[in-house]
Amino acid sequence: MAQTLLEVRDLKKYFPVKGKWFHPATQVKAVDGVSFSIQKGETVGLVGESGCGKSTTGRVLLHLIQPSGGDVIYKGNHLTRLSANELRVLRRELQMVFQDPYASLDPRMKIRDVLLEPLEIHGIGNKQERLKKVEEILEIVGLGGHYANRYPHEFSGGQRQRIGIARSLILRPSLIVADEPVSALDVSIQSQILNLLQDLQEQFDLTYLFISHDLSVVKHISDRVGVMYLGRLVEFAPKESLYAAPAHPYTQALLSAAPVANPEAKPQRIILRGDVPSPANPPSGCAFHTRCPHAMDACKTVRPELTAVDGQNHWVACHLLSH
Amino acid sequence: MQAILQVENLHITFRGEEGDIRPVSGIDFHVHAGETLGIVGESGCGKSVTSLAVMGLLPKGIGRVSNGRILFQNQNLTELKQTELQKIRGKEMAMIFQEPMTSLNPVYTVGEQLGEQIRLHLGLNKREAREKAAEMLRMVGIPRAEQIIREYPHQLSGGMRQRVMIAMAMSCDPKLLIADEPTTALDVTIQAQILDLMRELKAKQGTSIVFITHDLGVVAEMCDRVVVMYAGQVIEEASVRELFQNPQHPYTKGLIASIPSLDQQRRRLYSIRGTVPHPSAMPGGCRFAPRCDDVQAACRENPPLLHAGTEHKCRCWLVAKGGEELGADVAGSA
Repeated sequence: MAQTLLEVRDLKKYFPVKGKWFHPATQVKAVDGVSFSIQKGETVGLVGESGCGKSTTGRVLLHLIQPSGGDVIYKGNHLTRLSANELRVLRRELQMVFQDPYASLDPRMKIRDVLLEPLEIHGIGNKQERLKKVEEILEIVGLGGHYANRYPHEFSGGQRQRIGIARSLILRPSLIVADEPVSALDVSIQSQILNLLQDLQEQFDLTYLFISHDLSVVKHISDRVGVMYLGRLVEFAPKESLYAAPAHPYTQALLSAAPVANPEAKPQRIILRGDVPSPANPPSGCAFHTRCPHAMDACKTVRPELTAVDGQNHWVACHLLSH
Repeated sequence: MQAILQVENLHITFRGEEGDIRPVSGIDFHVHAGETLGIVGESGCGKSVTSLAVMGLLPKGIGRVSNGRILFQNQNLTELKQTELQKIRGKEMAMIFQEPMTSLNPVYTVGEQLGEQIRLHLGLNKREAREKAAEMLRMVGIPRAEQIIREYPHQLSGGMRQRVMIAMAMSCDPKLLIADEPTTALDVTIQAQILDLMRELKAKQGTSIVFITHDLGVVAEMCDRVVVMYAGQVIEEASVRELFQNPQHPYTKGLIASIPSLDQQRRRLYSIRGTVPHPSAMPGGCRFAPRCDDVQAACRENPPLLHAGTEHKCRCWLVAKGGEELGADVAGSA
């Protein structure tokens, strides 16, 4: 059995919403009790629609924002219990790649300075060595060292995402949280970046948490996949069994809704009614019961827990499967 | 079959700081009555600009149609005055934009915005227009239509806003609907709802649709025929079945191969090297040549659209073996 690199236990993040006239202050439950683990060297995918809490999960996991509850355990360290200083040291091993390659690079910084910054913060090497590392990393992500002197606006979206990846990689982390890293890119560029991420994983023995709304991209890159809905994990399984036999009605609907690039395919589509409810006021019981075609009475009151349907590693939170 | 829209040798020029750029240089396509034509391509290929040109919505003083004709029901739109165009736009042909958030006016209620064009084009009074607006909202599957017409766009979700946009576009029963990435900003389950709605409306009203998208999955599902654009030119045109089963242009082949598929699993994805050229620095000769794996000496010259089978055209010299040249090469010499 592979070694567990990171474990998330009952992670919660509630954002306060200020009260207005006749509207008392409330909380948005962006992440509401999420638990899973990531093995060393694997890629875990998190999918879900906007507002399901997948990005917040990624950020809370790295403690870029403080969790409201729960635990994140990385190599035996409880991140929640660490001091700011201890956390900063550990961050060297925990890095992030962001979605928007345009917004995540400072337009006034040369690429060299963008890439030097993490090295300086962590006090790695002397000036000479740092510059050498910058050149190395640019070669590794397929850009070439001579790009170091340029500014972000001189690059295309795909190239900028390569810089974002270089920045997260330069500290030689063990875990990278990639939050929609290819969503802003065109199809032909998307495949370049996905291939690069896979090459880097092999080369540097990386572990990924890959967050995306795109089911086929997640299937391509992940070993295990978690599906989120309204701040909760509704299904978590190895990708083969998740895509071949989705067990949760939401996963089934999500998979059936994805358009297939094959005009001959006539998918049996499950069209969900209505919109995703507001996370400020999620439905009681199972959060999906308002849109679920199979909702029963129990679904309105009792929140289903993640249970292993096959007794092993295919986890589903749905009353249908326990009845 | 009668073509409802015929675009001939369309050139679009934009005034830029460093001289003019030509995001679209010589494209031809047509849309039959009752047909859904897909226009596919990546960012910067000119697909959205083309749709704006057809609607007469190119930014004034910056972008213009510099050559070519746009025939809508045999009437050349490029020669019409603004006032004449206004009578057609919204009534005979309508458009849905990508961003339902930014294309609705935040300070007017849904009913006011829907009612405006119903009053203008159908000559109804205020009360009748409001009734018609509510009817349209019900038609696109919006519950509580009477309440929604009194609400503002910010009170609606993304999927609802796109339904309002569709209701607005369909309210005057247009013959042609141009949909520019109508589901790109939406989640998959909402996208499925909207695509379903568009198919339903098309079946009911027989509207012709130009569906502009970068998503090949959506194309496969929605379109009858497809035009693939690259760097301001049409590089391939075929029926949707033919395009996916028998793609001819190396770019189309590459695009299809580079999408990760839900059905099959490959360890590595095919990827087209390099990036799309900027309109101000188009490569001479074949515009795809710098990224093409099969490039040869002939590619120094831009190929014309060649026949690659019945109802299948392709802009590539590789296809020339066996195919005959189609008409005069207008765009190639540009």
